[in-house]
Amino acid sequence: MNNPYLPYPVRIAEIRVETEDKNLRTFKFEFLNPEDEGKFAYLPGQFAELSVPGQGEIPIGIASSPSEKGFVLFTVNRVGQVSSYMHNMKAGDVMGIRGPLGHPYPLDKLKGRNLVIIAGGFAVTTLRSTITYLLQPEIRPDYGKITFIYGARTPGLLLYKDEWMAWEKRDDIDVFVTIDREVPNWGYRVGFVPAVTKEVCPPPENTSALICGPPVMIKFTQPVLEEAGYQAENIIMSLENRMKCGLGICGRCNVGPEYVCKDGPVFTLAQLNRLPKEY
Amino acid sequence: MTEYIVKQNALADFFKSLASGRRLLTPRGTGDKCKLGETPPDQVTLEYTNTHLSPKSLLFPQTERLMAFHNERDKPNGYVYQSLGDNGEPTVVFGIRPCDARGISISNKVFQNDRFTDPYWKGKIDQTVFVGLACDAPSPQCFCAAMGGSPFGESGLDALAFRQGGDLGLKTLTDKGAELIKAAGAQEANLADEIKKLEATAIEAQGVKADYKPIDDLDLMDLFKDPHWVATAENCLNCGVCTFFCPTCHCFDIQDEASERGGVRMRNWDTCMSWLFTVHGTGHNPRPTKTERVRQRFMHKLKYIPLKQDGVRGCTGCGRCVAMCPVNIDIRSVALKMTQTAPSPA
Repeated sequence: MNNPYLPYPVRIAEIRVETEDKNLRTFKFEFLNPEDEGKFAYLPGQFAELSVPGQGEIPIGIASSPSEKGFVLFTVNRVGQVSSYMHNMKAGDVMGIRGPLGHPYPLDKLKGRNLVIIAGGFAVTTLRSTITYLLQPEIRPDYGKITFIYGARTPGLLLYKDEWMAWEKRDDIDVFVTIDREVPNWGYRVGFVPAVTKEVCPPPENTSALICGPPVMIKFTQPVLEEAGYQAENIIMSLENRMKCGLGICGRCNVGPEYVCKDGPVFTLAQLNRLPKEY
Repeated sequence: MTEYIVKQNALADFFKSLASGRRLLTPRGTGDKCKLGETPPDQVTLEYTNTHLSPKSLLFPQTERLMAFHNERDKPNGYVYQSLGDNGEPTVVFGIRPCDARGISISNKVFQNDRFTDPYWKGKIDQTVFVGLACDAPSPQCFCAAMGGSPFGESGLDALAFRQGGDLGLKTLTDKGAELIKAAGAQEANLADEIKKLEATAIEAQGVKADYKPIDDLDLMDLFKDPHWVATAENCLNCGVCTFFCPTCHCFDIQDEASERGGVRMRNWDTCMSWLFTVHGTGHNPRPTKTERVRQRFMHKLKYIPLKQDGVRGCTGCGRCVAMCPVNIDIRSVALKMTQTAPSPA
């Protein structure tokens, strides 16, 4: 019988330091048993429990796209016991991943629509997955205009630099990258995400917004979108709560009757407006 | 659904048959010493009110080892967790009360939910046959009927037994139960009317007649935002004894324990009364004070579970939390307060 608690064994193929403060590292995992890759079939917006034997597990959004074969990517912030331990692991080490968990962004229902994708700080991970997925030649024609707004405090805290720079050169996605304060030799925008959103977000007609970022960014971006005329049904967010099982059983990540792990982490603002703000 | 009868002089053989080829667990002892344990067939007693603890640990042990790994890199599966199995074994549980059986059926929908099946729970429940014992004399703390159950409730049971003078009446409820009872030599009998009569008397004997129905009709956010929660939680010590005793509290923590040669991953009962239960890595806590935590527990039992389980309440009225709470927080009065929530203007 399938045991959803049992992680798939993986080997760390590569570790990339993402930010200047070295607090974020991207782990590239390869499955020890190649057949596990097929079992780990995921879509953008889902997450997994990263499992370090003897240390514990942490729920982390999947940063790679299902279109990237042979590996999976996770960007991990150094916060607690497991993530700190992972930051001291090396390429070649064996650990586990368990998932995919949660529901993906409802991209199948958004076909034919314009998308504005708004990310703040290191919450960009599952949106990197989303954009990489959407930009595949066979997928891209299914969607309208795609706008990507991404902010961080400083240039050194922006993740996936090579990738968003490459996206910027394309003509099928509009990329707006911003930092909080002016620094020398910075060729992009300066200002907070809500202000940039106000300036560049497309009209709400036939458009959905995907937002992932720190609470303060969401707090100030949400009213900007609402003022621009976005309906709560078309504002799609991803929640985080403390989790253990990831299966809707262990009981701690609930927001009202919904479990963030099993019923989320993706919710529309319309859904969240009917739920307690316990996240 | 067929009724059977086992005459007093045939009870010993009946229990012997129940125990053949499997464990027979029944309540033993009295008062706070009463617990489910393996019982020799000739020592089964029907003289008890209920077990001190709920039976949940049968399927969901307080501590359970889920998986283990070894750390020898050169050998196969170094640093790779292997399941330790579900530890299920063929078991008959005789004599759990309908409130507790209902608790198991509520938790069963969590452990085997719309997306995932917990193999450790399933491995045990699939090998267990539950024969309940109906309550003819409710204890002063009982209020199953007010919560939507019954002293003769059938939910979560494979068969329901009841006392019929000195004899034992039985009603089979599932194929698993029918097979067991038939094989144990019970005689078919028509007892449907008798059961109805006994049930009505037992419900009548329960003191609590409150109607908690208004909670079902009230809006989730109105119930959540009502100001009474501050006062309701005021006395709470967040000790978690209610969650420990509750037959439907199923929350757990997962912890790794490393040793020199490897380690195990285990799960332990946890409690939503703890600050640590929900605190984020950043230090942010969605339920930072006891007010939010107490509200969570009662909302979960009386609103969230009914919303997810077709109106079935997450409280079975067993009364353990009422009896054990050191500061006398009583779910019956909390539920009444909830019924008095003012609906917000539409």
